[in-house]
Amino acid sequence: MRRGYIRNIEPLKILTDTQVEAIHRGTLDVLEETGVRFESQRALRMFKKNECIVDFENNRVRFPSYLVEECIRRTPSSFLVKARDLKNNLRFGGNTLYFMCSAGARISDPETGETRVATMKENNEAILISDALENLDYFPSYTPYFEVEGVEPVMLCPTSCAMRLRYSSKVSRGAQSADTYIWEIQMAQACGAQLLGNMEAASPLSYSEDAINAGFGYAEAFFPMYIAGGGVMGGTAPVTIAGATISNNAELLAAVVFFQLIKPGVGIIANDIEYPMNMRSGSPAFGSLGISLHEAAFNQIWTQFYRIPTNNCAAGFPNSKLFDLQSGYEKTHCAMTSAYSGANSILLHGGVSAELAYNPLMAILDDDLAAIIGRHIEGIVVDSESMAIELIKEVGPIPGTYLDKLLTKKHWKRENYVPNCADTLTYPEWITSGKKSAIDYARERMEEILATHEPTPLAAGQDKDIDRILKEARKYYKDKGML
Amino acid sequence: MDSGILDDLYRVVLDLNFEDAEDLAKKSIKEGIDPLQSAEALTKGIREIGEGFAKGDLFLPDLVLASKVLQIALPVIQAEIKRQGKKTHTRGKVVIGTVFGDIHSIGKQMVATLLFSSSYEVIDLGVNVKSSVFVEAVKKYNSDILAMSALLTTTAYEQKNIIKDLISKGMRDKVKIIVGGAPMNQEFADSIGADGYAPTAPLAVTLVNKLLGLD
Repeated sequence: MRRGYIRNIEPLKILTDTQVEAIHRGTLDVLEETGVRFESQRALRMFKKNECIVDFENNRVRFPSYLVEECIRRTPSSFLVKARDLKNNLRFGGNTLYFMCSAGARISDPETGETRVATMKENNEAILISDALENLDYFPSYTPYFEVEGVEPVMLCPTSCAMRLRYSSKVSRGAQSADTYIWEIQMAQACGAQLLGNMEAASPLSYSEDAINAGFGYAEAFFPMYIAGGGVMGGTAPVTIAGATISNNAELLAAVVFFQLIKPGVGIIANDIEYPMNMRSGSPAFGSLGISLHEAAFNQIWTQFYRIPTNNCAAGFPNSKLFDLQSGYEKTHCAMTSAYSGANSILLHGGVSAELAYNPLMAILDDDLAAIIGRHIEGIVVDSESMAIELIKEVGPIPGTYLDKLLTKKHWKRENYVPNCADTLTYPEWITSGKKSAIDYARERMEEILATHEPTPLAAGQDKDIDRILKEARKYYKDKGML
Repeated sequence: MDSGILDDLYRVVLDLNFEDAEDLAKKSIKEGIDPLQSAEALTKGIREIGEGFAKGDLFLPDLVLASKVLQIALPVIQAEIKRQGKKTHTRGKVVIGTVFGDIHSIGKQMVATLLFSSSYEVIDLGVNVKSSVFVEAVKKYNSDILAMSALLTTTAYEQKNIIKDLISKGMRDKVKIIVGGAPMNQEFADSIGADGYAPTAPLAVTLVNKLLGLD
């Protein structure tokens, strides 16, 4: 089991209790009066059987409040996801914080910010590097790259899942598009692992047939679920954070009901990926303040009020196209807010240029950021040893020193963190050692990982099973005219 | 003779175990271990700590605590060496201290520890050391190197005064002078007439070796 970081501080409350109640009541009102669109006759029939008001013609489901609240209660406050190597199992929930790898369509050049399609070798090396990173706990779907040279778009998700299973023994999230769940479930099971299942809303207030089919598939395979909304405030969600929180809540609570009706007690992690709109381009305003404010409200409601684990995505998608100051502050304000407000998981490592790009060097740098943030929420030890009252008396004024004391030796690392890839040299050292930047250190670490890291190998036969399943996927898509 | 004690002396440094250092040093004498070998075992330990520090694998608390082990164990061993009329071999003598007006000791201590671990005899005058004390120590110990530390821009110029005093006493050519500390750079070292400057403690050892023609 991966330890993650254990929150030992009171989580931030950006909302008053009255505001939380008001948002929850507003959400119930939207679910009961307006409902949510589910583009699946099978889902509609299931909802109808469970006392929802279903409009089959318009694919609309209206949810009675008692059912929503009953399903919130059925959802466990923590749950296990089994990795193909037990040491990488995850237990989401409670006070634990994990970090998830980010993703991007293409590989970004760290010097110019320009992007290009990654090769399969680059894809696999990026997975291997993530497998080695100490603070990276699991992968999302189609990671690290959404596009890989020589892989047809419809085969990308199953191929990406196969490569993650081969080059890492950490948990992965499954994908939902174009029936990929069929193959991803089989490959994970062939390797003795679970995936974090996936069903994402299309805002406002809708679920596509692809997403719903994937939801049924993953839940019926007894996989725990990752649910996501994804509104753009001012476009597909209200522009106000309170309104967007209600709209997002309605989408996610509809998914909670959906899964608790399929498999009562199934573990669920709710993701927040709600962005303000960039009012010049119309695209999501990645890296912006509104995201972290939304995350703070979201985490308070879901982890503290509903007791359902959360993931936050904003930190993994900075707007900056470069490895620069903007990228650093965009990631940090989002991730730090997530951690302090109670998130159980933060998507962070490797994202550059919003969702457009990924780079393993950035993942290596982000691993230090993850450690700093994780260490922050573990709080401060205050006990007789750490207060050091007797030692303060012993050392006294100048020329007293604490440097040669056992307390220093014992605790200096715990009380701080030494980054793997930061420039921590004095100015003269920096000059004489080649003026290296954090990126230079990350490059050295990347080379070391690629030269030395070996992922937990697949057991005999598992590799062949993966190949067989990929062949079946290829035939399936060919028969459907998608290849 | 229990040669395991030599290994224990070596390990007591690596383990930063200053609490057992004195007892172990006394035990080695009681059991008839050659004190030169005991000194070498301690030096081997501090050398490894120094190398680890220079490589970035170890940190200041390791260096300082290892130095503390030496400060406790070595005087016991050295007294025995003297009693037996034996002599230790060193690469040279270094007088080191932080200049008058400045009470910062960490950088100076790092350099002293690393020089010691490189087989130099180090005479550490401490902090807030007056010029006359530096000059007297250079004369008394006939030192090969005078190493001066200053962390403040205001005290850096005190190094210049000490060099002037050595010149006025006709001693400047008898000792190589190195300077260090946060406000220093090569240009400043040249301007005050020092023989060398090193930006880091490990590089200070390299500098001393170079000035004495040893590497």
